[in-house]
Amino acid sequence: MKLTINEVAQCLHLPLSTVERWIRQGRIPIQRNGNDYIFNESALKKWAESYNLMFSLPQKVKAQQQEAILENLLPAMKRGGVYHDLKGDNVEAVLGAAVENLHVLSNSSKEKLFKKLLERENLTSTGIGKGVAIPHPHDPMSDALENPLIATCFLEKPIDFGAVDDKPVFIMFILLSQSIKIHLHLLSRLSFCVRDNSFVEFLKTSPDSAAFFSKVADFEKQLDRADNY
Amino acid sequence: MDHQLFHIFRNNPLGRETLLQSIYFCSKVGASPVIYIPKHAKFLMYFENDVVQIDLDNSYLTSPETALKHATELVEQGGMKARFLEPKHYTASTLPDIQTNFDFMCCPRSISDLSSKIGLGYIGPRVRRIVESARFPILITSPVYKKWQSIAVFFGGSTNAVNALKLGFRISRVSGLPLDVYTRVEKNSRESYEKVIKDENLEDEMGLYVNKWHFFEKGLFEDNLYEVPHDALVVLGAYGHGLIKTFVFGGKMEKIQSTISNNLLIVGPYYTSTR
Amino acid sequence: MRILKSWRYPASWNIFRLDDRLLLILMAAIVGNCSGLAAVILNRSLVAMFEWLHHLRHYWWVFVLPAVGAALSSLFLDKVVKEGAGHGVPEVIYSVSRYGGLLRFRSSFSRLISSCLTIGSGGSAGPEAPVVISGASIGSNIAKFFSLNDRQRVTLVGCGAAGAISSIFNAPIAGMVFAIEVIIGEWKSVNIVPIAIASVAGTEVSRILQGNQIAFSHRLFSIDLIDIIACLGLAILTAAASILLTRMLRSIHEISGRISAPVWLRAAAGGCAVGIIGLFLPVVLGEGYHSVRIMIEGTFSQGLAIVALAALAKIVATSLTLGSGGSGGIFAPCLVIGSLVGLTYHHSLVLLWPSVSWVNEGCFALLGMAGLISGMLQAPLTGIFLIVEITGGYEVILPLIIVSAISTTLCHYIEPASYYLKDLVELGHLLRPGTDARVLSDLNVPEILERDCITVNQNMLLRDFINIVKKSHRNYFPVENEETGDFMGIIHLDDIRQYLFNPIMYDAVVLGQIMDTKVEVVHPDDDLSEVLRRMDANRLFSMPVVINNRFIGLISKATLLDQYRKELMVQTSH
Repeated sequence: MKLTINEVAQCLHLPLSTVERWIRQGRIPIQRNGNDYIFNESALKKWAESYNLMFSLPQKVKAQQQEAILENLLPAMKRGGVYHDLKGDNVEAVLGAAVENLHVLSNSSKEKLFKKLLERENLTSTGIGKGVAIPHPHDPMSDALENPLIATCFLEKPIDFGAVDDKPVFIMFILLSQSIKIHLHLLSRLSFCVRDNSFVEFLKTSPDSAAFFSKVADFEKQLDRADNY
Repeated sequence: MDHQLFHIFRNNPLGRETLLQSIYFCSKVGASPVIYIPKHAKFLMYFENDVVQIDLDNSYLTSPETALKHATELVEQGGMKARFLEPKHYTASTLPDIQTNFDFMCCPRSISDLSSKIGLGYIGPRVRRIVESARFPILITSPVYKKWQSIAVFFGGSTNAVNALKLGFRISRVSGLPLDVYTRVEKNSRESYEKVIKDENLEDEMGLYVNKWHFFEKGLFEDNLYEVPHDALVVLGAYGHGLIKTFVFGGKMEKIQSTISNNLLIVGPYYTSTR
Repeated sequence: MRILKSWRYPASWNIFRLDDRLLLILMAAIVGNCSGLAAVILNRSLVAMFEWLHHLRHYWWVFVLPAVGAALSSLFLDKVVKEGAGHGVPEVIYSVSRYGGLLRFRSSFSRLISSCLTIGSGGSAGPEAPVVISGASIGSNIAKFFSLNDRQRVTLVGCGAAGAISSIFNAPIAGMVFAIEVIIGEWKSVNIVPIAIASVAGTEVSRILQGNQIAFSHRLFSIDLIDIIACLGLAILTAAASILLTRMLRSIHEISGRISAPVWLRAAAGGCAVGIIGLFLPVVLGEGYHSVRIMIEGTFSQGLAIVALAALAKIVATSLTLGSGGSGGIFAPCLVIGSLVGLTYHHSLVLLWPSVSWVNEGCFALLGMAGLISGMLQAPLTGIFLIVEITGGYEVILPLIIVSAISTTLCHYIEPASYYLKDLVELGHLLRPGTDARVLSDLNVPEILERDCITVNQNMLLRDFINIVKKSHRNYFPVENEETGDFMGIIHLDDIRQYLFNPIMYDAVVLGQIMDTKVEVVHPDDDLSEVLRRMDANRLFSMPVVINNRFIGLISKATLLDQYRKELMVQTSH
């Protein structure tokens, strides 16, 4: 594998000017002939080891960068689906009904998910106020899913969730993510939407999927604009 | 990023012309001048592989008390802030070290001899050594201040010439002035030069920046040079092909510098275009 | 074409690419030969000049000779070669420590000619320092010719110096030790081997062309314990003499600098004075090896008073020659002064305790030489090895070590820097390898500049600033003027942390109100040791870098120290 001098500098985690200076001073086993750099990669690795310098290959750097791209709300919501008129009189019932609707999961996963959601509810209620709840498993279910999903469930009638403002909950957003990072990211975007009272009123009208998604898309645009100020 | 042009100030009318030229160059290229008003007649420049002792002739040391004022006036007239270089290290008490991490340097044709020898055809030995070792291009000014309105690159196909061409592209892009390329076709054919361009992946830039590529195919080279506009900045590499390439300047280069009186921007073998 | 071109780049040949030790050995041999040759040439020319001028010795105006010689030499240096006299070995050390040993080509021959003029006409100086400079410059330029890198060039400079000293004294070990102790400053095997080869080459050249003789041979000495104890006194005396010499050189140099006469006239005046002294005490003239020989053989038959006077006179003469602009070194005068001091000591011992059977005066002369060299150069190993090699007197090794070591230590107390290093240390220019100053001098601001700061402008609301904070990885935010882009100040997150969670302030506060305008800035050309000092003084961990009123980046102590450690590791281990 033939590395360019820029890549060598990256592998050594040094600025290019430092590497060039070391070449001129003879401290690194690289020779320079105008714009050509002559070196042997394994010799370079050995040299780095003997001087306690890091020499990690650039692929690792690329892999780290790939992780950084996080998804937004809309794709996750589309994947999770919108469900109306969920039946149930108490927390357990509605959670069970909601989980049943998630056909993308296998049966055993559904069982596990249901248990986890209940555990989480028993810890503290996920009713964040204004009639909205966000049930989610405490630990991310990284083995069951490849992509995050949010299932939007409108309840048939509002039920007592033990929410922070004691108001009955009429809508649940079930958040499923593979990692805490994605979970927090989606949660923050979702809460931004919920903070807006007009959005909550809109939700109370039990809109259909198309209207709902377009409203969410609007909110996401606002968020992006604020981010890229 | 801030590009710096190193200028040694001569406090006399001749030096004024040179400084005006440097200021104009900086304003077109987006660099800022760093001026050295010498207090000693010699200084050392430590390059990567050579140390050059520059012996200034006495005209560089005239009236030091007015030098600062004159230089500042000229620079501020050009709309820039004057910056002066104070050497920090001294090899000996009368021998300061001047750093070499500039982006350009401005020289008259001769640093060690007075005006009698700055006629055409002469480039002093010190200047030659600087060109040989420096990582930056050298601007050799015409005797009188002239605002250049276009750029002319001499392309001979060698690696040096390719660097000169890339520099020409850069200047054309930053200054917005038109660029023409001149090639003297001798033993090789036109296609061989075009092949060099293709090998270096410069075809896009050629199309983007170059106004016209002139090929001199007949006649004496000195006569051909008449086609170069009098108010162009001439960019060229110092060395050519051949075995003795690192000992003497290329043949074309010598002819050019002894025939035309334009401002010359000379690119040496150590010039790296990675800025 | 390829092959022909690449012979000038041996460092890129395959066999040398991984380990350049063989290459250095090859180069060292070449350099050693060349510098040895230069030394022999100087030696021969001095001998020739001496003989040529000898018949003039009985004229009355002979005292003008040193004046003429000194004047010619300084004219030559100033006008013909344009080099400037006096800066010799310190220039080599300076260049080695700062620029990887780059030396001007003219230094390889200019000093040879000028010192030949100065010393040959009778000036009190030595041919060693000029020959060291020539050798070092030869090494440097050969390295330049073959496009070697800094480290290799420094080694070759050392080789040149070693070859020169070995050749002129026929003393290979002294040459090696001098080059490593004084010029390079670090004992690394990668340096020692090529320098050893160069020493051998230089010595061999000298032996072939001048024959293998020990410079100062002598009778065997038998040393008793009483003599060893007496050495302590000798060490003190030689230390005193070294300090006197150093101080006098300095003061005459300063006096001469204040006289506003042209350079050559000052040199001539100094030479005149030396000539006059020489009329009465011919031992002070020239390099003085002849006198040293006589003294070591024990046949310098003068009384205590004359000897003491001669020692003082030689000190004065050397200061006059070198301080007023003459060209030469102090090795040889040190040897002469040392022998004279040794003799003085011996005579005074005999005077004070006539009943004790002291060892022959030649021995004390020898020890005096060692004491003086070690004191002046503050290089005890060089002194010891040099004396042992040029006298072949291994039996004196014990008192030799004592005298050298004590003399060095005493001198170090009073004059912390040796004669060669004094100027450099005063200007803060001495950078020995592996030291903090050296490591810092290699790093510079542009190398550790961090550019990932998001800039804001002074009219931004706090609300929008919060969005920026969300994206940034830093605690510092530079504020630029909205129209001109000039740097105005810095916002540090710590300062505004308390306001960040108060939503009412989001639309009420503009960044121009909370920024810090009295902020310490750094210029890209600033010295890093200075920057660190400012950081420590103001307890800062980051500072903005501003050039031409534009913000271009930040330097943080953390990155600086990270780079520092990497630099230190690369410069020192192995």
